[in-house]
Amino acid sequence: MSARTINKLYEQTYAALNSQNPNLEAIGKQVSQLKVGVVKLAIQNSEIEADSSFQLLKRGVAELGAQLSIKIGDIAAFERYLAQLEPYYFGNRMGLSDSDVMYPLIGLNLLRMLSDNLIADFHTMIERIDLEQLQNNPFIVHPVKLEQALMEGSYKKVWQARSDVPTPEYLFFMDILMSTIRNEVASCVEKSYTSLPFSDAKSVLFFSNMDELLKFAQDHQWIVSPAEKRITFKSDAEDTHLFQGENIMKQTLSYAQELERIV
Amino acid sequence: MEVEATPEQKQAETHLARSIKFLQRGIAASETHYIYRALRTAFSLRKRLQPDVIAEIATAYNSNGNSQSIKNCLNVIFESLQQSPTESTPASVTCEPEVCLFLGLLSALYLLDNGHIESGANLTEVLVEAISTAQRRTLDPISSRVFFYYARFFEVANCLADARPKMLSALQAATLAGMKETKAMLLTLLLRNYLHYKLYDQAERLTAKSSFPADAPNNLLARHLYYLGHIEAIQLNYSQAQTHLLEATRKAPSNAATAGFQQTVHKIYVIVELLMGNIPDRSLFRVPTLKKPLQPYLELTQAVRVGDLAKFQDVVGKYQDRFLKDNVLALIQRLRHNVIKAGIRSISVAYSRISLRDICLKLHLDSEEDAEYIVAKAIRDGVIDATIDHENGFVQSADVHNVYETSDPQYAFDRRIAFCLGLYNDSVKSMRYPDSNHRKELASTMEVLRRERELAHELENDDFDGDSDVDAMDEGL
Repeated sequence: MSARTINKLYEQTYAALNSQNPNLEAIGKQVSQLKVGVVKLAIQNSEIEADSSFQLLKRGVAELGAQLSIKIGDIAAFERYLAQLEPYYFGNRMGLSDSDVMYPLIGLNLLRMLSDNLIADFHTMIERIDLEQLQNNPFIVHPVKLEQALMEGSYKKVWQARSDVPTPEYLFFMDILMSTIRNEVASCVEKSYTSLPFSDAKSVLFFSNMDELLKFAQDHQWIVSPAEKRITFKSDAEDTHLFQGENIMKQTLSYAQELERIV
Repeated sequence: MEVEATPEQKQAETHLARSIKFLQRGIAASETHYIYRALRTAFSLRKRLQPDVIAEIATAYNSNGNSQSIKNCLNVIFESLQQSPTESTPASVTCEPEVCLFLGLLSALYLLDNGHIESGANLTEVLVEAISTAQRRTLDPISSRVFFYYARFFEVANCLADARPKMLSALQAATLAGMKETKAMLLTLLLRNYLHYKLYDQAERLTAKSSFPADAPNNLLARHLYYLGHIEAIQLNYSQAQTHLLEATRKAPSNAATAGFQQTVHKIYVIVELLMGNIPDRSLFRVPTLKKPLQPYLELTQAVRVGDLAKFQDVVGKYQDRFLKDNVLALIQRLRHNVIKAGIRSISVAYSRISLRDICLKLHLDSEEDAEYIVAKAIRDGVIDATIDHENGFVQSADVHNVYETSDPQYAFDRRIAFCLGLYNDSVKSMRYPDSNHRKELASTMEVLRRERELAHELENDDFDGDSDVDAMDEGL
């Protein structure tokens, strides 16, 4: 394939992906064709790497791949594409101007980290984004706010954030995030309530119907009493005050060892 | 150079000449000891360095050294001193590269102090090149300083990223050649380099994949610890970060020259302490060198301590530019939930039972539902010990139990004991014993022992001779 045919294929794929009803399977094939084409170009002509239009094409292909992988729900592939895009999005950006989908994709990547509970990576990424964008770009502000709410424990806000996502693509990760949150809430509820009536438990855990709640309670081994319509939580506060003999033995022995060395 | 030299210049020259003698002695004995001494004298002359002084010394050395390669290298130095662009002659040094690099280092110092950044960068590049061809143990202290100025020139010229490839390959070479100080310096410089571009990922990987030499000089160690602490703080590894930053402040000497370092480290240290839920000592903010630069951080600490969200936002807004300059704004943003936690904690201490609505009002939260979740999370995270009554909408604090019934005090003691023992072990390890002296002492004790034995022998013999010789023996003693 020559550079021109690749560019043409790229245009076609781009248009197809952004159309109303994209045929994802066909696009997937085209994207892999594009990837092979780009690699071949680079092998044939080693100087082409310095060419900005080639870099633009490379970036475009990776972006297509990232968008596609979100649509088909392939998280691992999305992560790989974002790693490829890193030199284009941070630092000197290979001398190219910002891409249109840059911030949406970064925002999606941030969401991916949140939903995967990779908070350290999330913060490392945040450090590299310009302050201006961090405070004003809707695609970035959304995950940042979300993280803050998560850390505080304002789970209601997280739940509400689902309804005001900047683009529909965010919903994919939001849904994953929701199940993570439900588990978080469950672990909080276990510790902080002695018991809850069914109706309150349902709203606290964001369930829409009773069956889901009962199944969830069963999974977490909560005590359900249908007669009282309550869920009771086990308390496990007793075992924290136990005397930890082994630990103390270890410590004392290590002191003895050290003292031996000194005297 | 037949210029009339001022007495000051004369003095500088003699000092330099002496440094070079030290260098040569160091090379002969392959003892880094002398090299350090040479460097120390030279750096004390920094203010008085003039191109003609260096040139004079270089010429003098050149006529004795008579080696072609040294001449090459010195030519480069001369050229850059005259501020003409250097043609990069690959200086393959075969004879005493130490002296050559030492002179190069002095020239670089002069160029840096006088703002000739570009020619300085060129010069250090040549020097770095020269180091790569000569790997010797005695070169270690000098080459580490060359790299320092190499990185410095690039930083001043604002193209730090360009220095990275050379430093990485030099790091590899230094590790293989066992040049510990150079390795320590390069690791530190690379971390600085990465942090400058906020490449925390790469910096973290570098530290994970390399080991910092244990016997590196203290000032390098302190800097390295600071960078480590910074990276760990970004990656939410607060307890590690706290240990490293604290160690950095302790390892760095506390004098006027290191005030800047102390300030920078303490800024991050305060935030990390806050993020861990501790409140730094008030006395820290009273230290004269820290008082002024830490003022915003003091206000921040106060806001977090009281748990006043509005005040916290005020402080952040007020000092936003300062925090941004110190590169800690993102870290501070993370403090928000610590403020809330502190607020919840003080509420739970003060009230045995309080309605969710009141909590919501006191902490300026958006809704009661949020307050409920936040309190639930605080309970789960062990911030407070309480239960929530959902139907009646209040929080009931559990009875405060005696800390001395738990194993907490024991943990605290254990931490302190471990620290003391670590300190003791470190000081034992870092003690130095002059090796030849005690052998001399040993010889003299052996001598004494021998004499005593002889004496005893004679005394034994004398017993048979009777008392006649006792006086004579006394004199002999």
